Amino acid sequence: MIGKTIFKYAFRSQARHIRRTVLSVVGVGIGTAMGILANCWIWGSEEMQIRAASESGAGHLKVIPVGWLETRENSLRLSDWEKALAEVRALPGVKRVSYRARANGLLAFGNRTSGMEVTGVDPDSERVFNRIVYKSGIEGRYLEAGDADKLVIGREIARQLKIGLDDDLMITISGKEEMKSAMLRVVGIIDTGSRELDSSVCHITLSDLERIIGIPGPTEVSILLNNYKQIESTRRLLAQELPEKNTVITWKESAPELAANAEGDKAFMNLLALIIVLVVGLGIMSAQLTAVMERRREFGILSALGMPGRQIVALILTEAFWVGIGGALIALALSAPIAYRLASRGVNISALMGGVKSFGGVLIDPVIYGDLGWWVIWYAFGVSLAATIAASLYPAWLAQKIDPAEALRRV
Amino acid sequence: MIGNDGNLLVSARGLTKVYRLGAIEAPALLGVDLEVKSGEFVSIVGPSGSGKTTLLNLIGALDSATGGELRVLGQDLSGLNRRERAELRLKYLGFVFQSYNLIPVLTARENVEFVLELQGVGRERSARAGEVLNELGLSEFADRRPLEMSGGQQQRVAVARAVASSPKLVLADEPTANLDGENAEILLHMMRRLRDEYGMTFIFSTHDPRVVEHAERVITLTDGRVAKDERHAPA
Repeated sequence: MIGKTIFKYAFRSQARHIRRTVLSVVGVGIGTAMGILANCWIWGSEEMQIRAASESGAGHLKVIPVGWLETRENSLRLSDWEKALAEVRALPGVKRVSYRARANGLLAFGNRTSGMEVTGVDPDSERVFNRIVYKSGIEGRYLEAGDADKLVIGREIARQLKIGLDDDLMITISGKEEMKSAMLRVVGIIDTGSRELDSSVCHITLSDLERIIGIPGPTEVSILLNNYKQIESTRRLLAQELPEKNTVITWKESAPELAANAEGDKAFMNLLALIIVLVVGLGIMSAQLTAVMERRREFGILSALGMPGRQIVALILTEAFWVGIGGALIALALSAPIAYRLASRGVNISALMGGVKSFGGVLIDPVIYGDLGWWVIWYAFGVSLAATIAASLYPAWLAQKIDPAEALRRV
Repeated sequence: MIGNDGNLLVSARGLTKVYRLGAIEAPALLGVDLEVKSGEFVSIVGPSGSGKTTLLNLIGALDSATGGELRVLGQDLSGLNRRERAELRLKYLGFVFQSYNLIPVLTARENVEFVLELQGVGRERSARAGEVLNELGLSEFADRRPLEMSGGQQQRVAVARAVASSPKLVLADEPTANLDGENAEILLHMMRRLRDEYGMTFIFSTHDPRVVEHAERVITLTDGRVAKDERHAPA
C-alpha cells in the first residue's frame, strides 16, 4: 500500500535528474504516440475494409441457406425467406437490407458470348445498399421495381460483347433441371473504374430470374448495420430467430480474401506497434536500472529503516507511474493533431493502389480515414503506464534485493 | 512476538562475522560476548577495522552473523528471514547513520513522517512528526529539505526520524563523525535527554572522544574482540 509521503517521494524523485526524466517521458510519449497513430490507422483501415466489403453486397451479415457456404451452390434458396426477411428487418441496429438470388449464366450477342454470375436483385433496396451501384458511374439507368426483361451490365462486359444501351441480349441460365434462355434489354452500363468488377456485374430483377429459371425466392439476405462493432452480437441474436435450414455469416466469410488481407494488415501494424513499445520499454528499463544503481545506497538506507521489499518495489513502480502519466500526456499532445487530421481529412492511398479499385470483388475506397475516439485517451494512459511499469519491474526487483549492510558500506 | 528477557535488550555469545571476498576470508568479529540492558547509553570504540560497524549491523539485523548467538529484544536473529528482519528494524529499532542519510527530496517533517507511515501510523503521524521535531528544537526546519540544512541540523533530523516511533533501541554508527564540536555536543545532549526521558537504549560506535565522554559504558573492540568493557560516569 502506498501512502501519501511515499507518493510524494516518488513524484519528487523525478526532479532529481530532470534531463533523464524528461528524456524518459518524451521517449515514452513518442512511442505511445506512434502506437496511437498506428492504431488510428489500423482501425480506420479495418473499418474502411469492412465498410467496403459490406457495402459491396456482402453486408455486415448475410443470411444464407445451410450448405451454401461450403458448396457456393447457386441453386440453393433460403427456407421461408419472407419470414427470414421480416426477422432481419425487426432486428435492432439494422440500417439497410437487400436480398438477391444468383445463377450461373451465359450472355450472348451475335456470335459473341460471355459467361458470368447473374444476380437477381430487388432494385429499390439494391440501389441504396450496393456501392457498386450507387458509387459508380452509370450510362443509362439502374433497374427499377416493375422492370421486366431488363438488365444492367458492367462496362467491361459491354466492351467484350460490343453492345450498348437498348441492345437485346440472349441470356442462358442453368435452371432447376435444364438450361433456360430469355431475351433481355440493356438499360444500364455500370462503370466502377475496376476492370474486375466491370467484367462481373450482371443484374436483373429477382422476379425475372425467378421466372426464367423457375426457382422462387432469394439465395441471400444481406444486412448492413448502423455499427459494425455489433456484428457478432447481432449475429448471435439473429441466429436464434432464423427459420431452420437458414444460417447467418459475417462479411469475413462472404469476402474471405479481403478479410485475410485485413487481418494481415492488422497483424503487421500490431507487430510494429508492439516493437515500438518494446523498444521504448527497454529504454525505460535501462534508465530505471541506471537510477537504481545510482541510488543503491539510498535503497539500502530504506531497507535499513525497515521498509519492506514490496514497498520498495511499490516506490519504484510509483516513480514509473509518474513517468507513464507524463508519457501519456506527451503522447496525446503529439498524436492528437495528427490523428484528428487523419480522421477528418483522411489519406488518399489511390497512388499506392496503382489504379486498382477493387479487391476480391469489393469496391475499395481510396481514402482511409483514421479512427479517432475516446479510446485514444485510454490507450495513451494504458499503454504508457503499462510500458513504464512493466519496464520498471526488473529494476524494482533489483532494488528490493539490495543488501542494506553492503549498501551502507559503500561511500 | 518480540519478547524481552527481563531488562536484557541485546545478548551476544561467541558472535563471529567473517566476510568472504571470493577465496579470501576477512574476519571482522571473532567471538564477541556482550549484553546490553534497557536504558543503557553504550559507546563502542576501537580503531578502524576493529569491527564496530559490523557489530552494530549485526545487532541492527542488517547483516547476518557467521557464527555464535545473537538475541535482540529476546529474538534469536539467526532464525529470522529477510522480511522478519525488516519488520524488527521497522518496529523496534531506530538508526542514525554517519552521513545523515535523509531522503533528499523530502522535507525534515516528511522524513520523520515517512518512517511513521511505513509503520502504519495513520493521520496522527504529521502531528507526531511535528511534536518530535519541536522537542528536538527543529521546528523552524520542519519544512526544509536536507540540502537546505547544515550537517548538524540534518543529523538532528536523522535522530528525530530514528526516535519518532519511540523504538526500544537506537543504533548510531559514528553519529558525530561529520559534525563540528558544537553540533556534536548538541546531538549527544539530545540523545541523552531522550534516554533519560523515554528510557530508550542507545548504542553508538565512535572514534570521537567527545562521544565517549558522554557514554556510561564504553566497549572497546580490538581485532574483532571485546578488549575492554568499562562503565564510567558520563560528563
